[in-house]
Amino acid sequence: MEFFQYDFIQRALLAGLITGIVCPLIGSFVVVRRQSLIGDGLGHIAFAGVTGGYMVGLYPVVGALILTIAGAVGIELVRRRHIAFADMGLAIFFYAGAAMAIIFSTMTRMPSTGLLSFLFGSIITVSLTDVITIAGAGTLVLLIVYFLFDKLMLMSLDEDIANVAGINTGMINMLFSILTALVVVVGMTIVGILLVSALMIVPVATAHLLRVGFKATMGWAVIFSMLSVFIGLTSSFYLDIAPGGTIVMTAILFYIIMTIIRQCIAFKERLKEQISSSFGDE
Amino acid sequence: MCEVKLFDIHFSYNTNVAIDNISLTISQGDFVAVVGPNGAGKSTMLKIIAGLIKPTRGQVQIGGKDIFTAKGHGLIGYVPQNYGKNVQGFPATVKEVVALGLTLGAAAAKKKAANHITNHMMELVGVENLRDRRIGELSGGQQQRVMVAMALAANPQLLLLDEPTSGIDYEASARIYELLGTLNKNLGITIVMVSHDIEKAVSWANKVACINRKLCFFGSSKEFDGTHAQSRHLWYYTGQ
Ligand SMILES: Nc1ncnc2c1ncn2[C@@H]1O[C@H](COP(=O)(O)OP(=O)(O)OP(=O)(O)O)[C@@H](O)[C@H]1O
Ligand SMILES: [Mg+2]
Repeated sequence: MEFFQYDFIQRALLAGLITGIVCPLIGSFVVVRRQSLIGDGLGHIAFAGVTGGYMVGLYPVVGALILTIAGAVGIELVRRRHIAFADMGLAIFFYAGAAMAIIFSTMTRMPSTGLLSFLFGSIITVSLTDVITIAGAGTLVLLIVYFLFDKLMLMSLDEDIANVAGINTGMINMLFSILTALVVVVGMTIVGILLVSALMIVPVATAHLLRVGFKATMGWAVIFSMLSVFIGLTSSFYLDIAPGGTIVMTAILFYIIMTIIRQCIAFKERLKEQISSSFGDE
Repeated sequence: MCEVKLFDIHFSYNTNVAIDNISLTISQGDFVAVVGPNGAGKSTMLKIIAGLIKPTRGQVQIGGKDIFTAKGHGLIGYVPQNYGKNVQGFPATVKEVVALGLTLGAAAAKKKAANHITNHMMELVGVENLRDRRIGELSGGQQQRVMVAMALAANPQLLLLDEPTSGIDYEASARIYELLGTLNKNLGITIVMVSHDIEKAVSWANKVACINRKLCFFGSSKEFDGTHAQSRHLWYYTGQ
Protein backbone atom coordinates (compact mmCIF):
# COMPACT_ATOMS: atom_id res chain seq x y z
CA MET A 1 0.00 0.00 0.00
CA GLU A 2 1.28 3.43 -0.91
CA PHE A 3 -0.12 4.68 2.39
CA PHE A 4 2.65 3.14 4.46
CA GLN A 5 5.43 4.36 2.22
CA TYR A 6 5.30 7.97 3.31
CA ASP A 7 7.63 8.87 6.14
CA PHE A 8 5.13 11.24 7.67
CA ILE A 9 2.48 8.52 7.71
CA GLN A 10 4.82 6.17 9.51
CA ARG A 11 5.56 8.86 12.08
CA ALA A 12 1.89 9.65 12.49
CA LEU A 13 0.97 5.99 12.85
CA LEU A 14 3.64 5.39 15.45
CA ALA A 15 2.67 8.46 17.45
CA GLY A 16 -1.01 7.60 17.00
CA LEU A 17 -0.69 4.03 18.21
CA ILE A 18 1.23 5.09 21.31
CA THR A 19 -1.50 7.65 21.94
CA GLY A 20 -4.05 4.91 21.35
CA ILE A 21 -2.50 2.80 24.10
CA VAL A 22 -1.92 5.34 26.85
CA CYS A 23 -5.15 7.34 26.51
CA PRO A 24 -7.54 4.53 27.49
CA LEU A 25 -5.11 3.19 30.12
CA ILE A 26 -5.32 6.45 32.03
CA GLY A 27 -8.93 6.86 30.94
CA SER A 28 -9.96 3.60 32.65
CA PHE A 29 -9.01 5.10 36.00
CA VAL A 30 -10.28 8.56 35.14
CA VAL A 31 -13.76 7.18 34.40
CA VAL A 32 -14.14 5.19 37.62
CA ARG A 33 -12.74 8.10 39.63
CA ARG A 34 -15.59 10.19 38.20
CA GLN A 35 -13.20 12.66 36.59
CA SER A 36 -14.24 12.21 33.00
CA LEU A 37 -13.86 15.91 32.21
CA ILE A 38 -10.31 16.27 33.52
CA GLY A 39 -8.88 15.63 30.06
CA ASP A 40 -10.92 18.49 28.63
CA GLY A 41 -9.77 20.82 31.37
CA LEU A 42 -6.14 19.87 30.86
CA GLY A 43 -6.58 20.04 27.09
CA HIS A 44 -7.54 23.68 27.25
CA ILE A 45 -4.63 24.38 29.52
CA ALA A 46 -2.40 22.62 26.99
CA PHE A 47 -3.78 24.96 24.35
CA ALA A 48 -2.77 27.91 26.49
CA GLY A 49 0.66 26.28 26.82
CA VAL A 50 1.05 25.92 23.08
CA THR A 51 0.06 29.51 22.35
CA GLY A 52 1.98 30.89 25.33
CA GLY A 53 4.98 28.85 24.29
CA TYR A 54 4.74 30.26 20.79
CA MET A 55 4.74 33.75 22.29
CA VAL A 56 8.00 33.19 24.18
CA GLY A 57 9.53 31.04 21.45
CA LEU A 58 9.23 27.61 23.08
CA TYR A 59 8.81 24.30 21.24
CA PRO A 60 5.01 23.88 21.40
CA VAL A 61 5.03 20.47 23.09
CA VAL A 62 7.35 21.80 25.78
CA GLY A 63 5.15 24.84 26.36
CA ALA A 64 2.12 22.58 26.61
CA LEU A 65 3.91 20.19 28.93
CA ILE A 66 4.95 22.87 31.40
CA LEU A 67 1.58 24.56 31.67
CA THR A 68 -0.46 21.32 31.62
CA ILE A 69 1.56 19.75 34.42
CA ALA A 70 1.21 22.94 36.45
CA GLY A 71 -2.52 22.82 35.75
CA ALA A 72 -2.71 19.16 36.82
CA VAL A 73 -1.02 19.97 40.13
CA GLY A 74 -3.45 22.85 40.63
CA ILE A 75 -6.50 20.72 39.81
CA GLU A 76 -5.41 18.07 42.30
CA LEU A 77 -4.78 20.64 45.05
CA VAL A 78 -8.22 22.17 44.52
CA ARG A 79 -9.85 18.72 44.44
CA ARG A 80 -8.40 17.97 47.87
CA ARG A 81 -9.91 21.08 49.35
CA HIS A 82 -13.36 20.85 47.84
CA ILE A 83 -13.89 17.14 47.64
CA ALA A 84 -17.68 17.62 47.47
CA PHE A 85 -17.51 19.97 44.47
CA ALA A 86 -14.42 18.60 42.79
CA ASP A 87 -15.78 19.18 39.31
CA MET A 88 -16.43 22.84 40.02
CA GLY A 89 -12.72 23.42 40.57
CA LEU A 90 -12.04 21.51 37.38
CA ALA A 91 -14.42 23.77 35.47
CA ILE A 92 -12.55 26.87 36.62
CA PHE A 93 -9.23 25.48 35.38
CA PHE A 94 -10.91 24.58 32.12
CA TYR A 95 -12.08 28.19 31.58
CA ALA A 96 -8.79 29.66 32.71
CA GLY A 97 -6.99 27.54 30.11
CA ALA A 98 -9.34 28.56 27.32
CA ALA A 99 -9.18 32.23 28.31
CA MET A 100 -5.39 32.23 28.42
CA ALA A 101 -5.25 30.47 25.05
CA ILE A 102 -7.46 33.17 23.51
CA ILE A 103 -5.33 35.92 25.02
CA PHE A 104 -1.99 34.41 23.97
CA SER A 105 -3.07 33.48 20.47
CA THR A 106 -4.55 36.89 19.70
CA MET A 107 -1.54 38.67 21.22
CA THR A 108 0.97 36.75 19.14
CA ARG A 109 -1.14 36.54 15.98
CA MET A 110 -0.22 32.87 15.74
CA PRO A 111 -1.02 31.68 12.19
CA SER A 112 -4.39 29.99 12.14
CA THR A 113 -3.16 26.92 10.26
CA GLY A 114 -0.82 26.19 13.16
CA LEU A 115 -3.61 26.77 15.65
CA LEU A 116 -5.95 24.49 13.76
CA SER A 117 -3.47 21.63 13.61
CA PHE A 118 -3.14 21.76 17.39
CA LEU A 119 -6.88 21.96 17.89
CA PHE A 120 -7.94 19.31 15.38
CA GLY A 121 -4.83 17.11 15.27
CA SER A 122 -2.65 16.58 12.28
CA ILE A 123 -0.82 13.83 10.46
CA ILE A 124 1.48 15.85 8.29
CA THR A 125 3.05 18.00 10.98
CA VAL A 126 4.27 15.14 13.22
CA SER A 127 8.03 15.61 13.43
CA LEU A 128 10.62 13.10 14.53
CA THR A 129 11.10 15.11 17.73
CA ASP A 130 7.36 14.75 18.36
CA VAL A 131 7.55 10.99 17.91
CA ILE A 132 10.49 10.72 20.28
CA THR A 133 8.79 12.90 22.89
CA ILE A 134 5.56 10.91 22.57
CA ALA A 135 7.40 7.59 22.83
CA GLY A 136 9.31 8.76 25.91
CA ALA A 137 6.26 10.11 27.68
CA GLY A 138 4.23 7.05 26.66
CA THR A 139 6.82 4.67 28.11
CA LEU A 140 6.90 6.63 31.34
CA VAL A 141 3.10 6.44 31.62
CA LEU A 142 3.12 2.69 30.89
CA LEU A 143 5.78 1.98 33.51
CA ILE A 144 4.12 4.02 36.24
CA VAL A 145 0.68 2.54 35.58
CA TYR A 146 2.20 -0.95 35.61
CA PHE A 147 3.90 -0.49 38.95
CA LEU A 148 1.06 1.41 40.61
CA PHE A 149 -1.74 -0.65 39.13
CA ASP A 150 -3.07 -2.24 42.34
CA LYS A 151 -2.78 0.96 44.29
CA LEU A 152 -4.54 2.99 41.61
CA MET A 153 -7.28 0.41 41.37
CA LEU A 154 -7.84 0.31 45.13
CA MET A 155 -7.82 4.08 45.38
CA SER A 156 -10.38 4.30 42.61
CA LEU A 157 -12.56 1.87 44.57
CA ASP A 158 -12.20 3.51 47.98
CA GLU A 159 -9.58 6.00 49.01
CA ASP A 160 -10.07 5.48 52.75
CA ILE A 161 -9.32 1.76 52.56
CA ALA A 162 -6.18 2.52 50.57
CA ASN A 163 -5.15 5.13 53.09
CA VAL A 164 -5.55 2.73 56.04
CA ALA A 165 -3.50 0.16 54.15
CA GLY A 166 -0.65 2.64 54.29
CA ILE A 167 -0.81 3.84 50.71
CA ASN A 168 0.29 7.43 50.33
CA THR A 169 -2.89 8.46 48.58
CA GLY A 170 -1.96 12.13 48.42
CA MET A 171 1.22 11.42 46.51
CA ILE A 172 -0.34 8.90 44.16
CA ASN A 173 -3.27 11.20 43.40
CA MET A 174 -0.82 13.93 42.50
CA LEU A 175 1.23 11.57 40.37
CA PHE A 176 -1.89 10.36 38.61
CA SER A 177 -2.96 13.91 37.86
CA ILE A 178 0.46 14.61 36.34
CA LEU A 179 0.28 11.39 34.31
CA THR A 180 -3.05 12.53 32.94
CA ALA A 181 -1.41 15.79 31.91
CA LEU A 182 1.34 13.84 30.15
CA VAL A 183 -1.21 11.77 28.27
CA VAL A 184 -3.07 14.90 27.18
CA VAL A 185 0.13 16.36 25.76
CA VAL A 186 1.01 13.04 24.13
CA GLY A 187 -2.40 12.80 22.51
CA MET A 188 -2.55 16.46 21.52
CA THR A 189 -0.31 16.08 18.48
CA ILE A 190 -2.35 13.45 16.68
CA VAL A 191 -5.87 13.74 18.00
CA GLY A 192 -5.80 17.45 18.75
CA ILE A 193 -6.53 19.42 21.88
CA LEU A 194 -10.29 19.56 21.39
CA LEU A 195 -10.74 15.81 21.35
CA VAL A 196 -7.77 14.19 23.08
CA SER A 197 -9.98 13.65 26.11
CA ALA A 198 -12.46 11.71 23.98
CA LEU A 199 -9.86 9.03 23.33
CA MET A 200 -9.45 8.67 27.09
CA ILE A 201 -13.17 8.21 27.66
CA VAL A 202 -15.02 6.78 24.63
CA PRO A 203 -13.08 3.49 24.17
CA VAL A 204 -13.41 2.89 27.92
CA ALA A 205 -17.16 3.50 27.71
CA THR A 206 -17.35 0.98 24.86
CA ALA A 207 -15.37 -1.58 26.84
CA HIS A 208 -17.66 -1.10 29.86
CA LEU A 209 -20.53 -2.37 27.70
CA LEU A 210 -18.80 -5.74 27.47
CA ARG A 211 -19.39 -6.23 31.20
CA VAL A 212 -16.03 -7.86 31.82
CA GLY A 213 -13.67 -7.29 34.77
CA PHE A 214 -11.44 -4.31 35.46
CA LYS A 215 -8.32 -5.52 33.68
CA ALA A 216 -10.30 -6.98 30.80
CA THR A 217 -12.19 -3.70 30.40
CA MET A 218 -8.86 -1.93 30.20
CA GLY A 219 -7.54 -4.39 27.62
CA TRP A 220 -10.60 -4.03 25.41
CA ALA A 221 -10.50 -0.26 25.75
CA VAL A 222 -6.93 -0.28 24.41
CA ILE A 223 -8.00 -2.49 21.52
CA PHE A 224 -10.96 -0.25 20.60
CA SER A 225 -8.77 2.80 20.92
CA MET A 226 -5.97 1.47 18.73
CA LEU A 227 -8.43 0.35 16.08
CA SER A 228 -10.02 3.80 16.15
CA VAL A 229 -6.64 5.46 15.74
CA PHE A 230 -5.68 3.21 12.86
CA ILE A 231 -8.97 3.51 11.00
CA GLY A 232 -9.18 7.21 11.81
CA LEU A 233 -5.68 7.99 10.56
CA THR A 234 -6.19 5.99 7.38
CA SER A 235 -9.43 7.72 6.53
CA SER A 236 -7.94 11.05 7.53
CA PHE A 237 -5.27 10.50 4.87
CA TYR A 238 -7.59 9.37 2.09
CA LEU A 239 -10.40 11.82 2.80
CA ASP A 240 -8.08 14.71 3.63
CA ILE A 241 -9.82 15.44 6.93
CA ALA A 242 -8.08 16.37 10.20
CA PRO A 243 -7.46 13.13 12.16
CA GLY A 244 -9.05 14.35 15.43
CA GLY A 245 -12.46 14.14 13.83
CA THR A 246 -12.04 10.80 12.05
CA ILE A 247 -10.39 9.04 15.03
CA VAL A 248 -12.97 10.12 17.57
CA MET A 249 -15.88 9.51 15.20
CA THR A 250 -14.59 5.97 14.65
CA ALA A 251 -14.36 5.46 18.40
CA ILE A 252 -17.93 6.69 18.77
CA LEU A 253 -19.09 4.37 15.98
CA PHE A 254 -17.61 1.46 17.95
CA TYR A 255 -19.59 2.65 20.94
CA ILE A 256 -22.83 2.84 18.97
CA ILE A 257 -22.32 -0.58 17.40
CA MET A 258 -21.56 -2.10 20.78
CA THR A 259 -24.68 -0.53 22.29
CA ILE A 260 -26.81 -1.98 19.51
CA ILE A 261 -25.25 -5.43 19.96
CA ARG A 262 -25.95 -5.26 23.69
CA GLN A 263 -29.56 -4.30 23.06
CA CYS A 264 -29.97 -7.17 20.62
CA ILE A 265 -28.56 -9.65 23.10
CA ALA A 266 -30.84 -8.36 25.85
CA PHE A 267 -33.82 -8.52 23.51
CA LYS A 268 -33.00 -12.09 22.50
CA GLU A 269 -32.71 -13.13 26.12
CA ARG A 270 -36.05 -11.57 26.99
CA LEU A 271 -37.62 -13.31 24.03
CA LYS A 272 -36.18 -16.65 25.09
CA GLU A 273 -37.49 -16.14 28.59
CA GLN A 274 -40.95 -15.29 27.33
CA ILE A 275 -41.07 -18.32 25.10
CA SER A 276 -39.95 -20.68 27.81
CA SER A 277 -42.34 -19.17 30.36
CA SER A 278 -45.30 -19.39 27.97
CA PHE A 279 -44.46 -23.01 27.29
CA GLY A 280 -44.19 -23.56 31.02
CA ASP A 281 -47.75 -22.30 31.48
CA GLU A 282 -49.29 -24.95 29.26
CA MET B 1 1.47 -6.79 69.43
CA CYS B 2 -1.75 -5.10 68.56
CA GLU B 3 -2.95 -3.39 71.66
CA VAL B 4 -4.96 -0.30 70.81
CA LYS B 5 -4.78 2.61 73.21
CA LEU B 6 -6.79 5.81 73.03
CA PHE B 7 -5.56 8.67 75.18
CA ASP B 8 -7.98 11.54 75.82
CA ILE B 9 -9.29 11.59 72.29
CA HIS B 10 -11.21 14.68 71.36
CA PHE B 11 -12.57 15.47 67.94
CA SER B 12 -14.83 18.14 66.51
CA TYR B 13 -16.01 18.86 62.99
CA ASN B 14 -15.71 22.65 62.99
CA THR B 15 -17.70 23.50 66.12
CA ASN B 16 -19.63 20.23 66.30
CA VAL B 17 -18.03 18.05 68.96
CA ALA B 18 -18.19 14.43 67.79
CA ILE B 19 -15.85 12.77 70.29
CA ASP B 20 -15.35 14.11 73.76
CA ASN B 21 -12.45 12.87 75.86
CA ILE B 22 -12.44 9.17 75.16
CA SER B 23 -9.72 7.02 76.68
CA LEU B 24 -9.73 3.27 76.50
CA THR B 25 -7.50 0.28 75.96
CA ILE B 26 -8.34 -2.57 73.62
CA SER B 27 -6.18 -5.59 74.34
CA GLN B 28 -4.74 -7.90 71.73
CA GLY B 29 -7.36 -10.49 70.86
CA ASP B 30 -10.36 -8.46 72.01
CA PHE B 31 -13.59 -8.40 70.06
CA VAL B 32 -15.12 -5.02 70.81
CA ALA B 33 -18.66 -4.09 69.84
CA VAL B 34 -19.07 -0.33 69.52
CA VAL B 35 -22.68 0.70 70.04
CA GLY B 36 -24.55 3.98 70.30
CA PRO B 37 -27.31 5.95 68.58
CA ASN B 38 -27.03 7.64 65.16
CA GLY B 39 -24.63 10.56 65.16
CA ALA B 40 -22.96 9.37 68.38
CA GLY B 41 -19.50 9.48 66.86
CA LYS B 42 -18.93 5.77 66.30
CA SER B 43 -17.72 6.11 62.72
CA THR B 44 -15.63 9.09 63.69
CA MET B 45 -13.95 7.09 66.45
CA LEU B 46 -13.25 4.21 64.08
CA LYS B 47 -11.68 6.60 61.58
CA ILE B 48 -9.52 8.03 64.34
CA ILE B 49 -8.36 4.55 65.34
CA ALA B 50 -7.66 3.79 61.67
CA GLY B 51 -5.55 6.93 61.37
CA LEU B 52 -7.81 8.41 58.72
CA ILE B 53 -8.50 11.56 60.68
CA LYS B 54 -6.31 13.26 63.21
CA PRO B 55 -7.93 13.86 66.58
CA THR B 56 -8.15 17.49 67.66
CA ARG B 57 -6.60 16.39 70.93
CA GLY B 58 -5.14 13.15 72.23
CA GLN B 59 -3.32 10.24 70.68
CA VAL B 60 -3.98 6.74 69.38
CA GLN B 61 -1.32 4.08 69.86
CA ILE B 62 -1.24 0.70 68.16
CA GLY B 63 1.18 -1.75 69.70
CA GLY B 64 2.84 1.12 71.55
CA LYS B 65 3.44 3.18 68.41
CA ASP B 66 1.61 6.27 67.28
CA ILE B 67 -1.05 5.31 64.73
CA PHE B 68 0.46 7.50 62.04
CA THR B 69 3.71 5.54 62.16
CA ALA B 70 2.04 2.16 62.75
CA LYS B 71 -0.34 2.53 59.81
CA GLY B 72 0.21 0.45 56.71
CA HIS B 73 2.15 -2.81 56.46
CA GLY B 74 -1.21 -4.58 56.20
CA LEU B 75 -1.60 -4.34 59.95
CA ILE B 76 -5.04 -2.78 59.93
CA GLY B 77 -8.01 -3.79 57.85
CA TYR B 78 -10.83 -1.30 57.50
CA VAL B 79 -14.35 -1.77 56.19
CA PRO B 80 -15.99 1.65 56.00
CA GLN B 81 -19.67 2.31 56.60
CA ASN B 82 -20.23 4.12 53.33
CA TYR B 83 -17.56 2.85 51.04
CA GLY B 84 -16.83 5.13 48.14
CA LYS B 85 -19.56 6.26 45.80
CA ASN B 86 -17.15 4.95 43.18
CA VAL B 87 -18.21 1.38 43.97
CA GLN B 88 -21.44 1.99 42.03
CA GLY B 89 -20.75 0.80 38.51
CA PHE B 90 -17.16 -0.16 39.31
CA PRO B 91 -16.18 -2.65 36.62
CA ALA B 92 -13.97 -4.98 38.67
CA THR B 93 -15.23 -8.52 39.27
CA VAL B 94 -15.77 -9.79 42.80
CA LYS B 95 -12.71 -11.95 42.38
CA GLU B 96 -10.58 -9.01 41.30
CA VAL B 97 -11.69 -6.96 44.30
CA VAL B 98 -11.02 -9.70 46.82
CA ALA B 99 -7.64 -10.40 45.21
CA LEU B 100 -6.87 -6.71 45.55
CA GLY B 101 -7.08 -7.19 49.31
CA LEU B 102 -4.18 -9.61 49.08
CA THR B 103 -1.89 -6.97 47.66
CA LEU B 104 -2.50 -4.88 50.77
CA GLY B 105 -1.22 -7.57 53.07
CA ALA B 106 2.14 -7.57 54.78
CA ALA B 107 3.53 -10.28 52.55
CA ALA B 108 2.22 -10.44 49.01
CA ALA B 109 1.20 -14.04 48.43
CA LYS B 110 2.51 -16.12 45.55
CA LYS B 111 0.16 -16.36 42.63
CA LYS B 112 -1.02 -19.91 43.29
CA ALA B 113 -1.50 -19.31 46.98
CA ALA B 114 -3.17 -16.02 46.12
CA ASN B 115 -5.80 -17.81 44.05
CA HIS B 116 -6.41 -20.21 46.89
CA ILE B 117 -6.78 -17.46 49.50
CA THR B 118 -9.05 -15.43 47.24
CA ASN B 119 -11.34 -18.42 46.71
CA HIS B 120 -11.31 -19.21 50.39
CA MET B 121 -12.27 -15.66 51.37
CA MET B 122 -15.09 -15.60 48.84
CA GLU B 123 -16.43 -18.83 50.29
CA LEU B 124 -16.16 -17.54 53.83
CA VAL B 125 -18.45 -14.59 53.19
CA GLY B 126 -20.58 -16.52 50.73
CA VAL B 127 -19.91 -14.69 47.49
CA GLU B 128 -18.19 -17.50 45.60
CA ASN B 129 -21.15 -17.82 43.24
CA LEU B 130 -20.81 -14.13 42.37
CA ARG B 131 -17.09 -14.33 41.60
CA ASP B 132 -17.31 -13.21 37.99
CA ARG B 133 -20.01 -10.61 38.52
CA ARG B 134 -18.95 -6.99 38.64
CA ILE B 135 -19.05 -5.43 42.08
CA GLY B 136 -20.81 -2.32 40.78
CA GLU B 137 -23.75 -4.44 39.68
CA LEU B 138 -24.37 -6.20 42.99
CA SER B 139 -26.86 -5.38 45.71
CA GLY B 140 -25.73 -3.31 48.70
CA GLY B 141 -25.53 -6.33 50.99
CA GLN B 142 -23.57 -8.33 48.44
CA GLN B 143 -21.14 -5.43 47.99
CA GLN B 144 -20.73 -5.22 51.74
CA ARG B 145 -19.76 -8.89 51.93
CA VAL B 146 -17.21 -8.44 49.15
CA MET B 147 -15.67 -5.54 51.06
CA VAL B 148 -15.41 -7.71 54.16
CA ALA B 149 -13.74 -10.46 52.13
CA MET B 150 -11.27 -7.96 50.70
CA ALA B 151 -10.32 -6.72 54.15
CA LEU B 152 -9.87 -10.29 55.38
CA ALA B 153 -7.71 -11.27 52.43
CA ALA B 154 -5.03 -8.86 53.63
CA ASN B 155 -4.75 -10.96 56.78
CA PRO B 156 -4.81 -7.97 59.15
CA GLN B 157 -4.06 -8.16 62.86
CA LEU B 158 -6.58 -5.49 63.68
CA LEU B 159 -9.89 -5.41 61.87
CA LEU B 160 -12.04 -2.28 62.02
CA LEU B 161 -15.55 -2.74 60.71
CA ASP B 162 -18.18 -0.03 60.51
CA GLU B 163 -21.61 -1.67 60.49
CA PRO B 164 -20.50 -4.59 58.32
CA THR B 165 -23.88 -6.27 58.63
CA SER B 166 -26.11 -3.31 57.90
CA GLY B 167 -28.29 -4.19 54.94
CA ILE B 168 -27.22 -7.80 55.04
CA ASP B 169 -29.84 -10.53 55.30
CA TYR B 170 -30.30 -12.62 58.42
CA GLU B 171 -28.51 -15.70 57.14
CA ALA B 172 -25.48 -13.85 55.76
CA SER B 173 -25.09 -11.58 58.74
CA ALA B 174 -25.11 -14.62 61.03
CA ARG B 175 -22.34 -16.02 58.84
CA ILE B 176 -20.33 -12.82 59.08
CA TYR B 177 -20.63 -12.74 62.87
CA GLU B 178 -19.63 -16.36 63.00
CA LEU B 179 -16.70 -15.69 60.71
CA LEU B 180 -15.53 -12.74 62.79
CA GLY B 181 -15.89 -14.82 65.94
CA THR B 182 -13.77 -17.59 64.43
CA LEU B 183 -11.11 -15.19 63.18
CA ASN B 184 -10.99 -13.64 66.60
CA LYS B 185 -10.81 -16.93 68.52
CA ASN B 186 -8.66 -19.04 66.24
CA LEU B 187 -6.34 -16.46 64.75
CA GLY B 188 -6.36 -13.95 67.58
CA ILE B 189 -7.28 -11.06 65.30
CA THR B 190 -8.37 -8.02 67.29
CA ILE B 191 -11.76 -6.81 66.10
CA VAL B 192 -13.50 -3.51 66.61
CA MET B 193 -16.96 -3.50 65.12
CA VAL B 194 -19.60 -0.82 65.06
CA SER B 195 -23.09 -2.26 65.04
CA HIS B 196 -26.70 -1.34 65.64
CA ASP B 197 -27.60 -4.98 66.04
CA ILE B 198 -26.84 -4.80 69.76
CA GLU B 199 -28.09 -8.20 70.80
CA LYS B 200 -26.07 -10.08 68.21
CA ALA B 201 -22.97 -7.91 68.45
CA VAL B 202 -22.86 -8.14 72.22
CA SER B 203 -23.33 -11.88 72.12
CA TRP B 204 -20.29 -12.34 69.89
CA ALA B 205 -18.06 -9.66 71.38
CA ASN B 206 -16.18 -9.97 74.62
CA LYS B 207 -16.19 -6.22 75.22
CA VAL B 208 -18.64 -3.43 74.59
CA ALA B 209 -17.96 0.26 74.11
CA CYS B 210 -21.08 2.35 74.33
CA ILE B 211 -20.51 5.79 72.87
CA ASN B 212 -22.56 8.92 72.79
CA ARG B 213 -19.93 11.59 72.15
CA LYS B 214 -18.47 10.51 75.47
CA LEU B 215 -17.64 6.96 76.44
CA CYS B 216 -20.70 5.89 78.44
CA PHE B 217 -19.68 2.33 79.08
CA PHE B 218 -16.63 0.25 78.40
CA GLY B 219 -16.33 -3.22 79.84
CA SER B 220 -17.04 -6.86 79.31
CA SER B 221 -20.06 -7.81 77.27
CA LYS B 222 -21.30 -9.99 80.12
CA GLU B 223 -21.40 -6.97 82.37
CA PHE B 224 -23.14 -4.96 79.66
CA ASP B 225 -25.58 -7.78 79.04
CA GLY B 226 -26.23 -8.23 82.74
CA THR B 227 -26.98 -4.56 83.27
CA HIS B 228 -30.55 -3.74 84.00
CA ALA B 229 -32.35 -2.83 80.77
CA GLN B 230 -33.25 0.58 82.12
CA SER B 231 -29.69 1.77 82.70
CA ARG B 232 -28.56 0.30 79.39
CA HIS B 233 -31.21 2.33 77.71
CA LEU B 234 -30.01 5.43 79.53
CA TRP B 235 -26.39 4.84 78.54
CA TYR B 236 -27.34 4.27 75.01
CA TYR B 237 -29.50 7.29 74.45
CA THR B 238 -28.43 9.89 76.94
CA GLY B 239 -24.95 8.90 77.94
CA GLN B 240 -25.81 9.33 81.61
N1 LIG C 1 -17.89 15.11 57.44
C1 LIG C 1 -18.54 15.66 58.48
N2 LIG C 1 -18.62 17.00 58.61
C2 LIG C 1 -19.26 17.55 59.66
N3 LIG C 1 -19.84 16.85 60.64
C3 LIG C 1 -19.81 15.52 60.58
C4 LIG C 1 -19.14 14.84 59.49
N4 LIG C 1 -19.25 13.51 59.68
C5 LIG C 1 -19.95 13.35 60.83
N5 LIG C 1 -20.27 14.55 61.37
C6 LIG C 1 -21.01 14.77 62.64
O1 LIG C 1 -20.29 14.14 63.67
C7 LIG C 1 -21.19 13.44 64.53
C8 LIG C 1 -20.76 11.98 64.61
O2 LIG C 1 -20.92 11.37 63.35
P1 LIG C 1 -20.59 9.84 63.09
O3 LIG C 1 -20.67 9.60 61.63
O4 LIG C 1 -19.31 9.50 63.74
O5 LIG C 1 -21.79 9.12 63.84
P2 LIG C 1 -22.14 7.56 63.95
O6 LIG C 1 -22.17 7.24 65.39
O7 LIG C 1 -21.27 6.75 63.10
O8 LIG C 1 -23.63 7.53 63.42
P3 LIG C 1 -24.41 6.40 62.55
O9 LIG C 1 -24.98 5.42 63.51
O10 LIG C 1 -25.50 7.19 61.89
O11 LIG C 1 -23.46 5.82 61.58
C9 LIG C 1 -22.57 13.66 63.99
O12 LIG C 1 -23.16 14.68 64.76
C10 LIG C 1 -22.37 14.13 62.59
O13 LIG C 1 -23.34 15.07 62.25
MG1 LIG D 1 -21.50 5.59 61.47
